[in-house]
Amino acid sequence: MLKKLGRSGGRGGPEVRIRDARFPEPFASGLEYNAPARGPWNIVHTGMLIPGAHQIFACAQGCLRGVVLTAAEMNAMDRMSWISVSESDLFDGSMERNIIDGAADILDRIDPLPPAVLLFISCIHLFAGCDFEMILGELRGRFPRVDFADCYMNPTMRKSGLTPDQLMRRQLYSLLRPRKKDEKCVNLIGNDRPTDESSELLAMIREAGFGLRDITLCGTYEDYQKMAGSAVNLTCLPAAAAAGEELERRLGQKHLYLPLSYSRQEIAENYAKLARVLGVEAPDFSGAAARAEEALGAARRVVGDAPVAIDYTATPRPLGLARLLLEHGFAVRKVYADVFSGEERADFDWLKQNAPELAVSATVRPEMRFAARVAPGEKVLAIGQKAAYFCGTGRFVNIVAGGGMYGFDGIARLAGLMADAYLREKDTRTVIQYKGLGCESCL
Amino acid sequence: MIQLAVYGKGGIGKSTTASNLAAAMSEKGLRVMQIGCDPKADSTASLRGGQMPTVLGLIRKYKDDFKLEDMVRIGFGGVVCVEAGGPVPGLGCAGRGIIAALKKLRQKGAYEKYRPDVVLYDVLGDVVCGGFSMPMHRGYADRVFIVTSGENMSIHAAANIAMAVENFRGRGYASLGGLILNRRNVKNEEEKVRELAGDFHTAIAGTLDWSETVQDAEALGKTVVEAFPESAMAGRYRGLAERVLLLCGEGKPC
Repeated sequence: MLKKLGRSGGRGGPEVRIRDARFPEPFASGLEYNAPARGPWNIVHTGMLIPGAHQIFACAQGCLRGVVLTAAEMNAMDRMSWISVSESDLFDGSMERNIIDGAADILDRIDPLPPAVLLFISCIHLFAGCDFEMILGELRGRFPRVDFADCYMNPTMRKSGLTPDQLMRRQLYSLLRPRKKDEKCVNLIGNDRPTDESSELLAMIREAGFGLRDITLCGTYEDYQKMAGSAVNLTCLPAAAAAGEELERRLGQKHLYLPLSYSRQEIAENYAKLARVLGVEAPDFSGAAARAEEALGAARRVVGDAPVAIDYTATPRPLGLARLLLEHGFAVRKVYADVFSGEERADFDWLKQNAPELAVSATVRPEMRFAARVAPGEKVLAIGQKAAYFCGTGRFVNIVAGGGMYGFDGIARLAGLMADAYLREKDTRTVIQYKGLGCESCL
Repeated sequence: MIQLAVYGKGGIGKSTTASNLAAAMSEKGLRVMQIGCDPKADSTASLRGGQMPTVLGLIRKYKDDFKLEDMVRIGFGGVVCVEAGGPVPGLGCAGRGIIAALKKLRQKGAYEKYRPDVVLYDVLGDVVCGGFSMPMHRGYADRVFIVTSGENMSIHAAANIAMAVENFRGRGYASLGGLILNRRNVKNEEEKVRELAGDFHTAIAGTLDWSETVQDAEALGKTVVEAFPESAMAGRYRGLAERVLLLCGEGKPC
């Protein structure tokens, strides 16, 4: 039965004051809306990070639309193939055989063979109990020079177990084969783009005499495989932690989770942990912290009392960022997030206490299709594409997943981007329609 | 760890047989886990008595927010009892339920925590879809035992199950351990079952006579091994347990 959408607050509505919000799920789940802000990466973008890898999707044609359009937009159609699934596959028990024969047929037509194949199965294969290990085993036997990774496009299961984002980032490194460890080398894993060279994180690693490997910097498949030789995996995004844990278990690489944070104390703790693993003294970061403070002050002078909105696609710590900005005098009015990560608990509690009127807005609630835009004339600064879209502003910081910024340097750089975004409006409609921020686009 | 699956036509006595095997094996000092893979969730009833939550019921109610201990009950002889459960009757997919339940058990570390010497999968009826073949997959049962009588419908179901096992040959799945003849005293019963065994190059692993003792134990909500340990029928179950363990390599992987 269709119901007219209401505009009530609380868990039944799309917006709530943080004083009344529940943690970690402030809104009831149900029918979902997807705003046309396409910068956040999807599984296709992430999979393309393995140099030379070919992606094969086995799923119903209707589900292929999104992934094919992603590959087409990023000019990577030569790196993607698909096998369509139909109802008859369920009748005659040919579902597994069709994947094997389909993938083999695809590979027989590719010359030279790709070094790796990411084979994606879909919900129906999991419902039907397909034996993915058997499928991969047979393909590995037929194509011994190709590495096959099991990957999943199963949106019906996205709320049970690992999220699609966590799972994809984990599987991205599943092809790494054990090799001799280089104790003076660390990996930064799970990111979509390189971390800024100016960050203290990278400076610490380099100054300690360690090499750094990152899939986003790999030019060849061998470069990717060399990541298996690093002694340590660093992760900064919550969605990447599962990859680090899996590699620690499988390859014996130490996993060090140093969460992206906007808290001076947590950043310092992260660097202290890193220093212990690198076997060096923790440097004095008071200069970097002071520069971050200066940058925030300068941005505040530019932005003034203009309302600020933050969304969860810009950073996995939107509440932490809101707290930092409020503590520095910014008029943070709204945070767009459908669920908070467990790491945000302390910031959630702080905001409840110190900024109870802060609005928390859903992004996927169906009412957001009709969300009121900000009154004309109000200069809103948004951080993230979804916040920009919902606020109807061209003044926005165009980043996803932390934007490669980290530590005190990251705060300083973000402050700089905020000031710049406030002064120079963007054509929001054009900017946010590109899929996968940072990827090539044919648009 | 020995893992074996008991299949057969609905109502043929799989759960009774599996539970008595579990009880007899536990008497030998083996750590046994019995996993009922049937939406009715009554596989382990005679081992544990009373009600117990099913894995699917817990998933429905709590998503992932429950403990391994919530999924198990310890029954007679320390047998670890699990019931996969099923979807709402008439709706949902029972096969998918089995897949979800077995994966959840593994995810929660059931095999590591209880370190069973023997795992018995008691699987509903016929292998009608991928979900019902899950206990045969690599990593689960090593041997499949099919309970059958000489009744035509039972023979037919047993043939289908044996065919599924044969179809999966080469995948590293469970192999056929043998047939268990649960007599219903029909004409030429042993001959018919022996012929079926011959067709699938297997043998009758054991024969269970029809016995009122089984009904009496069931009325008490117990296994024969527990309720009437001195009875001839308890002896038959113990003998069958010995034979099954022998066919499975007595503690070595089958």
